[in-house]
Amino acid sequence: MHDVDGEKPIYIQIADWLENAIIDGTLQVDEKVYSQYQLAELFTINPATAGKGLTILLEAELVYKKRGLGMFVAPDAQEKLRAKRKEQTLLQIVQDLLNEASLLNIGTDELNQIIEKERKQRKGDQT
Amino acid sequence: MTVISMKHVSKNYSRIAALTDLTVKIEENVITGIVGRNGAGKTTLLKMIAGFQKATKGELRVFDENPFRSLLVSANSIYIDDAMSYPGSMKLHELLDEFNRFYANWNEELAVRLMEYFSIPLNSRHRFLSKGKRSTFNAIVGIAARCPLTIFDEPTTGMDTAARNDFYRALLKDYIAFPRTILLSSHYIDEMKDVLEDLLVIHRKRIRYHGSISDLQEAHLSLRGSSEQLSGSTLGKIIVSKTTRGLQEEWIVENDFSDAERAELNRQGITNTTVSLNDAYLALTEQPRGGIDDVFNA
Repeated sequence: MHDVDGEKPIYIQIADWLENAIIDGTLQVDEKVYSQYQLAELFTINPATAGKGLTILLEAELVYKKRGLGMFVAPDAQEKLRAKRKEQTLLQIVQDLLNEASLLNIGTDELNQIIEKERKQRKGDQT
Repeated sequence: MTVISMKHVSKNYSRIAALTDLTVKIEENVITGIVGRNGAGKTTLLKMIAGFQKATKGELRVFDENPFRSLLVSANSIYIDDAMSYPGSMKLHELLDEFNRFYANWNEELAVRLMEYFSIPLNSRHRFLSKGKRSTFNAIVGIAARCPLTIFDEPTTGMDTAARNDFYRALLKDYIAFPRTILLSSHYIDEMKDVLEDLLVIHRKRIRYHGSISDLQEAHLSLRGSSEQLSGSTLGKIIVSKTTRGLQEEWIVENDFSDAERAELNRQGITNTTVSLNDAYLALTEQPRGGIDDVFNA
């Protein structure tokens, strides 16, 4: 069987992994990011591939370079990533949700009820 | 720096063509995977590069020399396959000593440590090892030789899964410590894809693709839905393969879709994802449509 999510190129997986580390605070602002060789060792991947993953973060200005020292987390990286996830990942999930809902003949009201019910349950769990 | 360069290289065995009109450049310190179906010409290509066989036509240069009968290429390259033969009277540690004498960058300590790790006794002889252990020993030689041009032709044949993983990791770690140009061939693209930078696909005696592994992967998109849905959404697109997967169709298409076009696919409920490297490779080398199913539908 095929993985429904397909298979992302490795350098994108590396970029995703680093972005997750920034979003969840594992990598803090101004903290040094793994070098391409550290990433290559960590995941047993080609250093050029790891470098490509880092370049994505650099081009999105999520990290900045200090000459001879490596790359560091940009001050507004977390904020930028949240906005990006909202526009891309969340939108994709909403599209999937609407596809499934139309398949099951579930209208907007019923869908909202399901979301509201789930949300309440979560709040209940947290208290 | 270019380590290997070919211009219109062909190789014939008597009158039968093994490779036709290859033009390619391989740069220094890149790990390139060589893949192709059985009989595509992988081994012939690697043996020509190593200088074991002579090109019939065209210009082949390795370290700027014709590799055939070149001492420079011989001293700076190593070719490892599963048919390595050593003098039967020599013990493995004696073989290691000989490699030490021949290869300028040979790392004896690394070789011995890897032998211990893979439980290959230094006192045994190559022909008494199991098939998997023989391959492992050959692979250790290939890594420890640290040759500027290191060629592995199906190095993992006979190795178990754990040994395969260990081999690729050992190769990668030593490559990071001591970068060199590496050519790796395997029938299993998935087991080696992580350590590769580039891929060279040989198909029907010709080069079908040479470039980075991610570019190949991203050049294709897999679409899943009903065949009506897919026909409607792929007007003007190049369809590489069509496969029936249960009640759905999966079409692999060349990826020139814009973000807006992909969003539209999502809206229509057509699953669209990047293909795996293996699927991208298969799309390049399989029969255009139907494949094995056609044999049974005759």
